[in-house]
Amino acid sequence: MYKDVLRSMEGIDIYPSISLILFFGFFILLVGYLIRTGKQHWEHAANLPLESDETTTLKIEES
Amino acid sequence: MDTFHYDNKIVRNFGIATIAFGVIGFLVGLIIALKLFLPDFLGFIPELSYGRLRPLHTNAVIFAFAGNAIFYGVYYSLPRLCKAPMWSPLLGQIHFWGWQAIILSAVLTLPFGITTSKEYAELEWPIDIAITLIWVVFGINMIMTIMKRREKHLYVAIWFYLATFITVAVLHVVNSFEVPATLFKSYSLYAGVQDALVQWWYGHNAVAFFLTTPFLGIMYYFIPKAANRPIFSYRLSIVHFWSLIFIYIWAGPHHLLYTSLPGWAQALGTVFSIMLIAPSWGGMLNGLLTLRGAWDRVREDPVLKFLVVGVTAYGMVTFEGPMLSIANVNAIAHYSDYIIGHVHNGALMWNGGLAFAMLYYITPRIYKTELFSRRLANVHFWFATMGAIFYVIPMYWGGITQSLMWKQFTAEGFLQYPNFLETVIQIVPMYHLRAFGGSLFIIGAVVGAYNVYKTARSGSLIAEEEAQAPALIDPAAGHEEKWHRRLEGRPLKFSVLVLVAILIGGIVEYMPTALIESNIPTIESVKPYTPLEVEGRDIYIAEGCNNCHSQMIRPFRSETERYGEYSKAGEYVYDHPFLWGSKRTGPDLHRIGGKYPDSWHLRHMYDPTSTSPESLMPAYTWLLKQDMDVESLPNRIGALRAVGVPYADNYEDLVIRDAKYQAEMITQGLRENGFSSVDGIEVTSDKKIIALIAYLQRLGVDIKGENDPFAGLPSSERMGANIKSN
Repeated sequence: MYKDVLRSMEGIDIYPSISLILFFGFFILLVGYLIRTGKQHWEHAANLPLESDETTTLKIEES
Repeated sequence: MDTFHYDNKIVRNFGIATIAFGVIGFLVGLIIALKLFLPDFLGFIPELSYGRLRPLHTNAVIFAFAGNAIFYGVYYSLPRLCKAPMWSPLLGQIHFWGWQAIILSAVLTLPFGITTSKEYAELEWPIDIAITLIWVVFGINMIMTIMKRREKHLYVAIWFYLATFITVAVLHVVNSFEVPATLFKSYSLYAGVQDALVQWWYGHNAVAFFLTTPFLGIMYYFIPKAANRPIFSYRLSIVHFWSLIFIYIWAGPHHLLYTSLPGWAQALGTVFSIMLIAPSWGGMLNGLLTLRGAWDRVREDPVLKFLVVGVTAYGMVTFEGPMLSIANVNAIAHYSDYIIGHVHNGALMWNGGLAFAMLYYITPRIYKTELFSRRLANVHFWFATMGAIFYVIPMYWGGITQSLMWKQFTAEGFLQYPNFLETVIQIVPMYHLRAFGGSLFIIGAVVGAYNVYKTARSGSLIAEEEAQAPALIDPAAGHEEKWHRRLEGRPLKFSVLVLVAILIGGIVEYMPTALIESNIPTIESVKPYTPLEVEGRDIYIAEGCNNCHSQMIRPFRSETERYGEYSKAGEYVYDHPFLWGSKRTGPDLHRIGGKYPDSWHLRHMYDPTSTSPESLMPAYTWLLKQDMDVESLPNRIGALRAVGVPYADNYEDLVIRDAKYQAEMITQGLRENGFSSVDGIEVTSDKKIIALIAYLQRLGVDIKGENDPFAGLPSSERMGANIKSN
């Protein structure tokens, strides 16, 4: 069965490998980029949920 | 400074729908849990039979409860993260009412046997089209809101929402390729192994992109909100996002280990499933570590309680998933109740926990009041948690017990429990405990619903919530930014990249099997179904037999001893759709053909305990009373030809005659053996039971090559050669 599949499509085994290498390359690039930019760079983004609205105060915590 | 208003009415509406459909979905679950040890519970009413209600339960919980919860979270958090109201209130209304109409249509079709049989995609083709349209409405409203935002940066939660929209659209469309035969009946374009692969690419990624990514977005918004501190590591969330969406899409074949799926696809599924631990746990830890220094608040705040237990359950389930994808673990757990425990751990605690956390967080805020009772919320929390524990642990226990019994041999080399029923009766106490756990969970949910209702009553809805933010002239501005920051300012390019990431896995892994004919070795003696067998197969689908019976014998000695020769890919080439099933509450049926006489099936379907004492299978008495549908058979045969079954060109003209002739032969045989009536009900050739018997007796016999199924039918004189010459 396995051999049948390989025979029917030339070099099929190469595609998963290429995909993995592509993803791994992207992953390394991304991690490298994130290390270089540093934590401060993302502070504004990380605080986005906290800065919006609050027309209603957090009354649950006070009660 | 711009002043604008958030629409809280649509948020409230999705909240009400979440609670209402949650309770209904859980109750249907409890009904079928009771039916598993009280088969005559609610009597033998066709519309309330296990096989028809089980898909209603799964669809209600996934698409009605979790679905509405997703929209509840998105319609609340997205405008606040974008500092802009949802783009179109009208599209919001269409989305809300359209989605509820789709849910209603599920209630009006599934119990009536209108189903495609493909798990979590059971709804028939007209509803499939409606789902596509409403989903696009949701997507347009979301993307346009993002385009009109007043905040340059797209917060990580929004990426998860975008990925959800894009991927679910792709999955739904590809898995729903089907050819309609009548208004409520269609046949999958794919057959057998190919259908199975596409279905589990869909099924697995429905879990990934409907029950996981949107809830991760919700986690990334509501945990910081509830804990009042930013996410532990924003940089980790970026790695989390890209790794998760890329890897998840490959993992589908782990639902098909040891089946007739080509080995290389199974291996890929396993490898990527194991890799999935990394992003899943990265995300889980990111959520939990956000609470560092705030753990004392978890004791106080019911919102945080539900969030923490939910994210913890997510961690457990995403560890379990990869472990279950390892072939030899899968060999034990698959087809057993272990998987039912696994999914309920995720559904009750992760999806349920986050949904209830949102309800407790949002309701007091949009009604400008305080939570009615923190005490009741705590009661709900403990009922939900204990309910899940009492549900999940018995399922784990029962699943492993039964599976080991299936595999147990005596010292002489015989199956120790050759009677399947013995292994079922052994775990009935676990079914009792499961129903008890489910009841606890439902009591908790009802208490929660009451609490939310009283909270709403104690305040008044701020339908239009005012907010202010500086206008953003050009969201895409900022060329000095680094690449990923630039990307976050460009939602469309971002979406395209997401699409590429999920398509790579889709194309590389699925296309070879789905499209290359030679991937599935054909078997000369395997022939299409006769018209009567097609009708029987459609009855099998309508009654949902595949919810409890598999048609896939794995190549283990314990299975070939019990069921017969293991299943080959080439045996399914005419199966539109495939009916491999995913759970063995009853035995596998792939080699049931010829195993028992017709009269056994007749008696067994009428009263299973007459042939198998103590059987938990419900009686299908109506199959002896209801007429089969021969009139639409020509249309159905035509639709099957359209999806690739090689019926001869003008075979439609002879279909009804063939079906009636074959039915008459079976009925005559029954009569000759003294079964002209059962319990006073006359057995006639126009009843559904006859077609079902024809189908069951055909299952798995072609591989022997002993009989030509079309031989002896009236058409064989005129065109038998034609049919056989495929």
